[in-house]
Amino acid sequence: MSQAAHLDKLPPEPEKATLEGRNKVLGFWLFLGGETVLFGTLFATFIALRNSVLDGPTGIELFSLSITAIATFILLTSSLTSVFAIQAMHHKNIKNMLTWLGVTVVLGLGFLVLEIYEFYEYVAHDGFGFTTSAFSSSFYALVGFHGAHVALGVLWISLLMLQIKKKGLTTVTAPKIYVASLYWHFIDVVWVFIFTIVYLMGKVG
Amino acid sequence: MEANQEQVQDRVKRGRIHEGPRNHIIAFGISIFLTLLAFMAVANSALDATFIKIFIVILAVFQAVIQLAFWMHMKDRGHFFQILFLATGAFVAITAFIMAVYWVWW
Amino acid sequence: MAHSVKKYRGLMDWITTVDHKKIGILYFAAGGLFFVIGGIEALLIRLQLMFPKGTFDILDGQTYNEVMTMHGTTMIFLAAMPLVFGLMNAVVPLQIGARDVAFPFLNSLGFWTFFFGGVLLNISWFTGTVPDIGWTAYAPLSGQEFSGTGSDYYAIGLQIAGIGTLVGGINFLVTIINMRAPGMSFMRMPLFTWTSFITSGIILFAFPALAVGLIYISFDRLFDANFFVTATGGNAILWEHIFWIFGHPEVYILVLPAFGAISEILPTFARKRLFGYSSMVFATALIGFLSFMVWAHHMFTVGMGDIANALFGVATMLIAIPTGIKVFNWLFTIWGGKIQFTTAMLYATSFIPTFVMGGVTGVMLAIPPADFQFHDSYFVVAHFHYVIVGGIVLSLLAAAYYWWPKMFGRMLNETLGKWSFWLFFIGFHLTFFIQHFLGLWGMPRRVFTYLPNQGWDTANFVSSIGAFFMAAGVIVILINAIISIKGPKAPADPWDGRTLEWSIASPSPEYNFKQLPLVRGLDAFWLEKMDGKKEMTPAEPLGPIHMPSPSILPFFMSLGLFIAGFGFMYRGYEFESAFMNNLFGYNIIAIFGLAITLVCMFLRSVYDDHGYHIEVEELQKEG
Repeated sequence: MSQAAHLDKLPPEPEKATLEGRNKVLGFWLFLGGETVLFGTLFATFIALRNSVLDGPTGIELFSLSITAIATFILLTSSLTSVFAIQAMHHKNIKNMLTWLGVTVVLGLGFLVLEIYEFYEYVAHDGFGFTTSAFSSSFYALVGFHGAHVALGVLWISLLMLQIKKKGLTTVTAPKIYVASLYWHFIDVVWVFIFTIVYLMGKVG
Repeated sequence: MEANQEQVQDRVKRGRIHEGPRNHIIAFGISIFLTLLAFMAVANSALDATFIKIFIVILAVFQAVIQLAFWMHMKDRGHFFQILFLATGAFVAITAFIMAVYWVWW
Repeated sequence: MAHSVKKYRGLMDWITTVDHKKIGILYFAAGGLFFVIGGIEALLIRLQLMFPKGTFDILDGQTYNEVMTMHGTTMIFLAAMPLVFGLMNAVVPLQIGARDVAFPFLNSLGFWTFFFGGVLLNISWFTGTVPDIGWTAYAPLSGQEFSGTGSDYYAIGLQIAGIGTLVGGINFLVTIINMRAPGMSFMRMPLFTWTSFITSGIILFAFPALAVGLIYISFDRLFDANFFVTATGGNAILWEHIFWIFGHPEVYILVLPAFGAISEILPTFARKRLFGYSSMVFATALIGFLSFMVWAHHMFTVGMGDIANALFGVATMLIAIPTGIKVFNWLFTIWGGKIQFTTAMLYATSFIPTFVMGGVTGVMLAIPPADFQFHDSYFVVAHFHYVIVGGIVLSLLAAAYYWWPKMFGRMLNETLGKWSFWLFFIGFHLTFFIQHFLGLWGMPRRVFTYLPNQGWDTANFVSSIGAFFMAAGVIVILINAIISIKGPKAPADPWDGRTLEWSIASPSPEYNFKQLPLVRGLDAFWLEKMDGKKEMTPAEPLGPIHMPSPSILPFFMSLGLFIAGFGFMYRGYEFESAFMNNLFGYNIIAIFGLAITLVCMFLRSVYDDHGYHIEVEELQKEG
């Protein structure tokens, strides 16, 4: 079966065409519900320990609004591009889908580079390491956990892009793409709260 | 006649599949706007600190809801369990938040 | 293409299985093993406390702390949880008329992570550094300053086991939402399925909190973080909150399926439909919801202040309402029924008063000023053993006797069953009833001995005698289980049951239902029987059945986490040999373990599982 004929046969929403696909999408949503509690606990810890700075630097001294703004813009845009990837998938346009996914991955990498640079600055120049104070531990735990999620997402989406190239868009691969895009949006939603509660509130004092 | 029917069918299908990029770009615009508003509120030192905090948290919640509804398709049909479970997760997260604010230090 | 699939035999079959019924048996076996280990620890505790100090001291203070910690941790996480999961695996897909769970692969992964987590925790007995911090692992006791590697075993062992539980919870939620048979609406689901559903939901929201808390403990201990270290700005109370935000829902995670099992067994043996089905469902959901709003009643004496204490006290008492609804519904179910006292029914009926006693002391403890008196005394020990043993274990045993024929295809011996019941039931009340009074007389919990002539000697002696009765009961149960291998073959419907699982052979074939059944109402199978039919009306024509392939990957994924756990635990440890120091110090072991897991995940993602089909001819041959 040629690729084009195969695509024609693909149902309109390939991610929900099979029971396995529907299970996967629903199961992933439930997992995101669990992740909400996971990040909720991390946020709660940060809020509880945010003033325990000891002799270390405080949020006001550390945070730079411009870096946070750039990071936010990058991640927001990447969320939009991953929506475009899903739209391309629904229109069965594999080339566009891969392009948008590629842009998402590049933006994700950009975000990571920025975060690593930020952490490096904190450790090297501000003397703000993981063990400096309870504030620093909770800061790195929360923001680092989010960063680890971004890194995992970048790896995951890259792997899926390779799979799509090999296997094409099928009722098996489509749910994977859909779920990865849900994951990516969720990371973005978490970041909305991170820039608000950690950085902006930290700046307000 | 035939072509017309096809068009109708196509439109029906498309409506079910996807509403096109317009809504997503609007959601992006709103997100950017809300983010800018939050950053500006913080940069504006004339405002009261408590007011800023409450204001930006409301903005964040608003932005999160928009992204969930549009980008994660929560506004579409067939998302009852998704909404139920994410809302419950958020509820537990909020209890943890209240715990952290009121019952850790005294 | 989908036909050729490798079939394994023997041990390899068990390691690679993705069949929910076999995984249920694995959970039962592993949970039973840990139950026996935890039971032996309990016996050691009772032996130590049988006589006051100086008469018969078999444990010193340190060993007592270790035994006590491991008893609690093992019983909650490694015995009760897997037994509940075993039942859910064995029963839920059959009750909703499904051929399989939603994620057979993840189901297997859930079992193996739990198992390796439990093994890791128990290996501490052989390395000589056993957790000695209580099952609650309060900071700063669990921090670097006051405890050794044992605390790492606790944090990392539970972390790995917790992943399995979370995965299992998601699996059952999706299974119940997406895979119900035609006609099986939510309000036609048997109550055990309902309670499993709510329990899985609580797991989903409670276990991430524990995961974060355990990560903090590990970070504090292994990477010098400051989360719970007061000297560097951390806060020990924070751990208590995080632990109980998980820990209180955990109690309901265990007890709700127990409620569900009781709600299945009572109607069957009273030969009446369950009284107040919809109020039972409502009560279950309400308990699930309230379970997240009461955690701080474990912390009344911490000093959160009057408002918090009053709030959590009232919230806790609220739980008595849905629980009361359940108790009355059970009573009305058996009221006027044609009761048949099988072993399962004995356990189930005895559950009701026993659990009510645990519930009543729960309400007593929910009153903050009274709690200041009861706190950290044997009254608390008596309370939670009435809830956990009197509530959960009694109903798990009832459920085991009830569903054993379906799981194993063999009947358990009823005479031995009744012996086990009376030994266990009498032993239980003998052990724990008197502990209420020991608590009121001032005996503190978690202390390894007591001085004579404080009025506690006789009561402790009685309590210990009761423990031996319970042990005898458990031994009879084990004997019964072993001889059932050669016992009489079970018919498909030994109890004249009401729900779908009894409409298929015992044990059920690997595909469960040859044709998916059409469900016409609550108690689906009973309805058909009342209409004079012998089996369910099929909802589909006979066709080939798709099955998932077995896989070894879950085993290796979990093994990877297990190895990585050791890598992290001993990264700062001073070994004799420089080689070992390098191996652990540079995280080589940890990275190696994680690499195994990641490679397995990669393989799982890249190679699609096409599964295989059972063809119509084969189905017809099997009858």
